[in-house]
Amino acid sequence: MLRVQGLARSFGGVYAVRDVSLDVADGETRGIIGPNGAGKSTLFNLISGHLAPDQGSTELAGSRIDRLPPHRRAKRGVSIVFQAARIFRHMTVRENVMVGAHLRASAGFPSAVLRLPSHFATERAIRELAEDALARVGLLEWADSNAEALPLGQQRAMQVARAICAGPRLLLLDEPASGLRSQEREQLARVVEELKSTGVTIMLIEHDVAFVSRLADRVTVLDLGSVIAEGTPAEVRADPKVITAYLGAEAEAA
Amino acid sequence: MRTPLPVLVGIAATAVIGLVLPFVLDRGGLALYIDVALSACVVVGISLLMGFAGQVSLGQTVFFAIGGYTAAVLVLNDYTTAVPVLNGVPPALVGMVAAPVVAGVIALLLGIPLLRLHGHHLAFATIAMHLIFLVVVQQSEPLGGSVGLMGIPGLSVGPFDLAGHQSMAFVSLGVLALVMLVAHNVVASRPGRALRALATSETAAESAGVPVGRYKLLVFALSGAFAGLAGSVWAYYVGYLSPEMFPVSMSITFVVMAAVGGMGSIWGALFGTVLIKVVVSSLGTLGTASGMPDYAPAVMSYAVYGLVLVLVLLFLPHGVVPEIRDRLLPLLGPRRARPPQGGGSTPREAESGATADSEPVTSQSGAGVQPSGHGAPGSS
Repeated sequence: MLRVQGLARSFGGVYAVRDVSLDVADGETRGIIGPNGAGKSTLFNLISGHLAPDQGSTELAGSRIDRLPPHRRAKRGVSIVFQAARIFRHMTVRENVMVGAHLRASAGFPSAVLRLPSHFATERAIRELAEDALARVGLLEWADSNAEALPLGQQRAMQVARAICAGPRLLLLDEPASGLRSQEREQLARVVEELKSTGVTIMLIEHDVAFVSRLADRVTVLDLGSVIAEGTPAEVRADPKVITAYLGAEAEAA
Repeated sequence: MRTPLPVLVGIAATAVIGLVLPFVLDRGGLALYIDVALSACVVVGISLLMGFAGQVSLGQTVFFAIGGYTAAVLVLNDYTTAVPVLNGVPPALVGMVAAPVVAGVIALLLGIPLLRLHGHHLAFATIAMHLIFLVVVQQSEPLGGSVGLMGIPGLSVGPFDLAGHQSMAFVSLGVLALVMLVAHNVVASRPGRALRALATSETAAESAGVPVGRYKLLVFALSGAFAGLAGSVWAYYVGYLSPEMFPVSMSITFVVMAAVGGMGSIWGALFGTVLIKVVVSSLGTLGTASGMPDYAPAVMSYAVYGLVLVLVLLFLPHGVVPEIRDRLLPLLGPRRARPPQGGGSTPREAESGATADSEPVTSQSGAGVQPSGHGAPGSS
């Protein structure tokens, strides 16, 4: 599904991502782990198109996407849930999620101005998609609330709903579970498992190794912008390089 | 989206007042009424542009003038030899259709380079656009140069002579109603949702597949078309056009009206226009009243007007209409409650008690919550 080759991006001479190559199979769930500053979020931004790479190529289902702007990549099926909550202000939860379904319809300005039948059909269809996504993440009863008023856990869930609503082929989740209570984590894990069962390819950045191990088929470990290990969760956990670079550092910190 | 009853009553009351006023106003009052209605068309466009696309335009008068000149040139010249299809169609109507189209297309073309700029840069560039426009018009023979175009016939459609003050007031009201309806229909739709989304976060809107650049451009063109339509009616009403009728200060006043009324609010645009126009007009009357000192008009028009602006922006920073809406709507429907302003960084427990699942959450990463968002409407 996704093939990244030799991707590199530096900021002011410092490499955030240095020569990263990876292959994510169709329907796979790939965990991305690594210490802070390993380049995980930068990698996601390179894949989603919010950053331009200095070098390297990105292919989605066999075609190059690295020159496309983010909205064109979204059209090809790339959906991202950012680490920081990005809530559309002055909009209800339902409206926030409906924006996610933007690409699932095509009614534009003329049909909106003239209130053509296609406008009403689109509104109905998008609304149903949004409510379906909200139900899946357990937020349906919040649909009419103002999105900014939601507690953090629900804001995260809302963003996941927004991403699901787009019907993605490749879903990028940047630390979706951070700041969530265990019960919310459990719900999130179930949503991810459900998406996985419908064949969506998922990439998941997460610090919680237990959470990643449960969901990911394979795990890629980044450190200082490079891939230092890749394999099944069990293989990666046993890798001495990983233990030094990541788990070791964390164990010391703890 | 259900509209609460008090809001519907307010809208109906505004419409009734708008329809009754032309019958009771005197000539001076009608002139002010027409000025308000046509300015409000421009301000609705600015409110969309600034509130939704997050773009400042200090050159919106240019599109107002382009609409006026388009209509004037069409009614003053015989174009039917060039476009025989239009033979028999009232020229004034042709002008009123062509004005928003020409203004919109020019806005679209100017927007392609201009909207690559942001914030102050864009604001200065639009002022520059305004100055360039004035110079071009002054040098342009077909547009009458600095002398201007005289003798633009009043609006008449077939046997109906609409040139009188009262009928022009109704025409202006109709044009404003059309502009507000179009703006409302755009806002409450798929593209409108995308626009409201990109006003907070272009990044997140892009990830949802919204072509941010194109949408901004379309709003710019739409705001240009609104101004162009209003400009054509203005040209028919005043009967002459010259460059000094469109100073840069006019563009700035339009932005002030949008800011006072509330960015991204259609009714706010109308309210801001009415407020500023009426305040400025009554201050002018007061300043020139007998017994007032010589410096009164200047003090009145600038100082008091400035004071009103400062007070509104200090105490109602989001504009009058959004502030009122945000304070009243929670009383009408608790589920649409908005968190208090100020953008604290702790997740708020909204509507406590509404759901069993709303225990406080401790944020592990401070960067996790950003209720104040990025590039909020009206913050630029």
